Amino acid sequence: MAEQHTATDGKHKASPNAGGSVHGNSRPNAVGGGGKGGLSGGLAQPAGWQSLLSFTILFLAWLAGFSSRLFAVIRFESIIHEFDPWFNYRSTHHLTTNGFYEFLNWFDERSWYPLGRIVGGTVYPGLMVTAGLIHYVLNLLHLTVHIRDVCVFLAPVFSGLTSISTFLLTRELWNQGAGLLAACFIAIVPGYISRSVAGSFDNEGIAIFALQFTYYLWVKSIKTGSVFWSIGCCLSYFYMVSAWGGYVFIINLIPLHVFVLLLMQRYSRRVYIAYSTFYIVGLVLSMQIPFVGFQPIRTSEHMAAAGVFALLQAYALLQYLKDRLTKQEFQTLFFLGVSLAAGVVFLTVIYLTYTDVCLLYSSSYAKIHIPIIASVSEHQPTTWVSFFFDLHILVCTFPAGLWFCIKNVNDERVFVALYAISAVYFAGVMVRLMLTLTPVVCMLSAIAFSSVFEHYLGDDMKRENPPVEDSSDEDDKRSSGNLYDKAGKVRKHVSEQEKAEEGLGPNIKSIVTMLMLMLLMMFAVHCTWVTSNAYSSPSVVLASYNNDGTRNILDDFREAYYWLRQNTDEHARVMSWWDYGYQIAGMANRTTLVDNNTWNNSHIALVGKAMSSNESAAYEIMRSLDVDYVLIIFGGVIGYSGDDINKFLWMVRIAEGEHPKDIRESDYFTPQGEFRVDKAGSPVLLNCLMYKMSYYRFGEMQLDFRTPPGFDRTRNAEIGNKDIKFKHLEEAFTSEHWLVRIYKVKKLENREPLEHKLRSIVPRQKYTSKKVQGSKRPNM
Amino acid sequence: MNIPFCTVPTCLLLITGLCYRVVADGLVNEEVKRTVDLSTHIAKITAEILLLNQGDSAVHSFILAVEPELAPNLAYVGASVKGDEEEDGILELKQTMIQGQSGEFYKVQLPSSLAVGAKLRVKVETVLSHILRPFPTHITQAERQLVVFQGNHYLYSPYPTRSQTTRVRLASKTVESYTKLGNPSKSDEAIEYGPFRDVAPFSEDALKVHYENNTPFLTISSITRIIEVSHWGNIAVEETIDMRHTGAFLKGPFSRYDYQRQSDSGISSVKSFKTILPASAQDVYYRDEIGNISTSHLQILEDSVEVEVRPRFPLFGGWKTHYIIGYNLPSYEYLYTLGDQYALKMRLVDHVYDDQVIDSLTVKLILPEGARNIHVETPYPIDRIPDQLHYTYLDTFGRPVLVASKNNLVEQHIQDVVVHYTFNKVLMLQEPLLVVGAFYILFFTVIIYVRLDFSITKDPAAEVRMKVSSITEQVLTLVNKRLGLYRHMDEVVNRYKQSRDTGALNSGRKILEADHRTLTNDISSLQARLKAEGSDLADKVGEVQKLDGQVKELVCRSWQEAERLVAGKVKKEAYIDNEKTLSSKRLELVTRIDSLLDTL
Repeated sequence: MAEQHTATDGKHKASPNAGGSVHGNSRPNAVGGGGKGGLSGGLAQPAGWQSLLSFTILFLAWLAGFSSRLFAVIRFESIIHEFDPWFNYRSTHHLTTNGFYEFLNWFDERSWYPLGRIVGGTVYPGLMVTAGLIHYVLNLLHLTVHIRDVCVFLAPVFSGLTSISTFLLTRELWNQGAGLLAACFIAIVPGYISRSVAGSFDNEGIAIFALQFTYYLWVKSIKTGSVFWSIGCCLSYFYMVSAWGGYVFIINLIPLHVFVLLLMQRYSRRVYIAYSTFYIVGLVLSMQIPFVGFQPIRTSEHMAAAGVFALLQAYALLQYLKDRLTKQEFQTLFFLGVSLAAGVVFLTVIYLTYTDVCLLYSSSYAKIHIPIIASVSEHQPTTWVSFFFDLHILVCTFPAGLWFCIKNVNDERVFVALYAISAVYFAGVMVRLMLTLTPVVCMLSAIAFSSVFEHYLGDDMKRENPPVEDSSDEDDKRSSGNLYDKAGKVRKHVSEQEKAEEGLGPNIKSIVTMLMLMLLMMFAVHCTWVTSNAYSSPSVVLASYNNDGTRNILDDFREAYYWLRQNTDEHARVMSWWDYGYQIAGMANRTTLVDNNTWNNSHIALVGKAMSSNESAAYEIMRSLDVDYVLIIFGGVIGYSGDDINKFLWMVRIAEGEHPKDIRESDYFTPQGEFRVDKAGSPVLLNCLMYKMSYYRFGEMQLDFRTPPGFDRTRNAEIGNKDIKFKHLEEAFTSEHWLVRIYKVKKLENREPLEHKLRSIVPRQKYTSKKVQGSKRPNM
Repeated sequence: MNIPFCTVPTCLLLITGLCYRVVADGLVNEEVKRTVDLSTHIAKITAEILLLNQGDSAVHSFILAVEPELAPNLAYVGASVKGDEEEDGILELKQTMIQGQSGEFYKVQLPSSLAVGAKLRVKVETVLSHILRPFPTHITQAERQLVVFQGNHYLYSPYPTRSQTTRVRLASKTVESYTKLGNPSKSDEAIEYGPFRDVAPFSEDALKVHYENNTPFLTISSITRIIEVSHWGNIAVEETIDMRHTGAFLKGPFSRYDYQRQSDSGISSVKSFKTILPASAQDVYYRDEIGNISTSHLQILEDSVEVEVRPRFPLFGGWKTHYIIGYNLPSYEYLYTLGDQYALKMRLVDHVYDDQVIDSLTVKLILPEGARNIHVETPYPIDRIPDQLHYTYLDTFGRPVLVASKNNLVEQHIQDVVVHYTFNKVLMLQEPLLVVGAFYILFFTVIIYVRLDFSITKDPAAEVRMKVSSITEQVLTLVNKRLGLYRHMDEVVNRYKQSRDTGALNSGRKILEADHRTLTNDISSLQARLKAEGSDLADKVGEVQKLDGQVKELVCRSWQEAERLVAGKVKKEAYIDNEKTLSSKRLELVTRIDSLLDTL
């Protein structure tokens, strides 16, 4: 076995980064040739090679994960990406400048004008507190790092922690080799990178770490049955609750695990201790987060945990009584208990049907039918392509890992199986929940790969080695003193391997190994490619490439936002569609009406109504909302497809939901049912505010000689209304490529100008006195 | 040549002491050529004066005067002796007062005394900022910017003037109106006044020009310049600039279409300007609160680095912007040393754009940690604000920061400041030592943590369990090794069957038996230790030993069989049958051993 060490180590040096996956077989054994030292030898050995190797691989995985997330920073700059991260950044900034309590009590009067938003009570503060804490500690050490850089690099740094916690969890589930493989997978898998590139300062970045770490501690506490690990699990769960709304996944999965263990007759004192501690302490801790508050004891998504808790107590009581009572007594008691429980359950169900469950159904109904939720692209169901795109080969191998786990089942493998099944279900429902699937796919694939390598690579080693050198295969957990669980060990002894060897020639083995390595290599290439191409755009800054490969940066968003920041009144109110609310607040530092925290549907509908009404109707709405500026995104000049005209139908739909009398979606379609911006488009569309603002003076603009003036590149159509005049608005700013257009809402005139020509009154009547005429004249 | 802030009353007291009657000097401005340059957004008035001493005695100084109306806008005044060659001898100025007259007065020290009847040609330069008033004050995007200048036709001087001409240079041909004193002649972009003869001292006559001026009316409303000196070879400079367009305000909409399609649309707006940085500037960055400003260009020239600073959006009248520009300089160009003495010679303020106007300047000079005896030499008086401390990477007691501020600066103020200080070179070692110490502590903690047992409870059961597990592990290894030995024996036997080399067989057997014995002994000693630990695993190990004995027996038998076969004592078929039963027995035993090992 000593030779095996050196061999793997040599390989390791040859391919330090991507080759971390090769070492699935390098589960260094605790026992070497010189195990004479008894106890001290048994302890010193695993702390030597094994930990050095694991440490190196984990460190390299961290490094690889960190650096592959830096594409955006290297190509563009250290900047906060997209939409939500801007809000997180803004609140972190508030936290660092004003302190923690000010942050908790922060009433943000700059958003949702005129309503405002209680930020401290409506966010998961974990992210901001984490970034703020890191910033505080660094500054305490006089490392003068700007809070923006802390925010930008937080997610890549946490990806390293994620891979370490994945390693720990997989090691608990299978073995160290699989753990290292899993750590390497999660470090570079696109499904996770998509949410954790540098600059994507979002809850998910730290939440996946918290999720994996909580699961690790949970498995640990299930295995040991120790209160210590349970409390650790609770603390980690508390961090998760403070970081992301996805904590609901944990608080449902862990009870499910316990429940299934009960069903499988795998109840033990360990399960009882672990779950009781977890539920009670975790519940109390989770209620400390202001945004969560009393939800854990009120809402239906937390009820499963409570139910399982009660069930577990009952089960434990029964077990206890079973020991104490005679069989006859026990039976009577059992029936009594069951009928009582049935009654309680019945009553609860009736109660819930009339209160909570109604809410549950209505909220899931809302998710389907309220357009504002349907309008978000990341709430769409996942396509098959995106599974492959985000997970590549892992999506094919993880069922194999799952099969291995189910085949050699034990308490914690039940857990990972449940984790996998539920995560697959959720990932199928919503694109963004791909994120929760990714870690479990990495772990199970690592198990599959690890087993294959163990089989094929391990035997090769043996063949090369003289049999005398042969030593007992595996048993790394012995030294750590966890002896209770034998099923977790895939022990192969010489004889078994002899049997297996018969069917497999060395050629097959090397071919299989090569194939596996090829797969892993292709996986690494795919990950890098996807990260570089799909997930590393800040989306605040756009880039276009010329024919000769030079790059043009289209910085229109920041141009316009910075203009707002510098050249408008500090308290100016900017109306825009809700997508841009966080960016306006973060970059332009101006008051917005609606933003990405879409908590008030009717307010958004009002903005949508203003955008989809004609100018005078819109003016009334804007006057009533004290709007000073209107900001829209227009991509017709450069062919940017994510602009407001393409989102316009959602505005109409949302507005229609609240104001069905004023806005009707069908009005915006042609009689044939098409949405067109050219001459054939519906007149309502051609005269609505959004259309007019987008195309104001665009009709004069000829982009190139092949197309007529006013040719919209995004929709490939010549616009239908070229003569656009405004009465109540004026163009305040348009960015260089027309991507952002800002209009100023004029104040009411002192005197309304008359639109029609003055009537000339000929004084025919002789009896009109001169006095009256004289007083009329000035008006004429 | 300076403009101290004479707001403090004590300053006034001092100056009153210096007041004296000027006429007694007997100086006369023999010939004055004034040029009023209004082609940019500041007014640069240069006057070439031929001084004549008509008095009774030699004079050592003369008085410069600035009109009371223009004094608030005065940014810079300087005088020099017009030399024969290119270089002018710059003269020293001191502010003074004259009783009974308003305005600002400066006493200019002559390089040598001016004898009676002698003449001297001096050049006086005055720069006035914010003196050009846009009129109309609000214009639309299509309109051109018109400004009004109000000044003096004559040289404002305490001395009588014999002859004087005034030439006004404009920015464009378009002039709405101008004062017509003495029937001036107007050429393309200039108006010539005069010559005026025998002008009395302190005479004023309003000069007013209303003309088109589309030059960039940029003003830096505030600039903070931070210079951070590191003795590791770098000087970092960072300027935070607030800038606004102080021309006529933009009225009505800003139309991007017109701005892109018509070249004269928004003609007075500012698209970009050039900042000239020192030639050795590296790592230049140009950014603001929301990130990098991607619209700039950098050009490295031989004697400078030119940054084309393009704000995110064009600046129209009344619009403002804010940005940060920074760069690194090698310290050997600016830092001089002699033993522990250091001198830093750097520009107090640097070029931002041509004809710059700075309303308020704050300079922060961050010296290395441990700099003492700091002494600053500024080229012109500047307000010192109390020193601060700055903490950055690996600082313990903070770096001294010199803070100074000054208002109303122009291009002429780009001059060097010299800072002297002493610094003990041993302090350079502090930072590396800190890093080394931190790593030392980290590794030491890890070593301590790994080596020592910190558990608060002693768990004998766990200890025993650990001991047992380590022993069983060794047992496992040994047993497996022993099983391996049997396979090795088989090989030896097989080889023997082919080669029929009894010597090799016997030697192999000897070695293997010796190995086997040591292994068996090791296992039994381990078994004894297990027993000593009180583990019931010892029995199982005993059982394994027993089974192993049987295996050994079988192996020996197959050995003998092979010998007999080779010796021809048995038939081949019989041998194969025998061998089969033996090996099946052996396999059975081995599986039993395995299952026993599994339960270990």
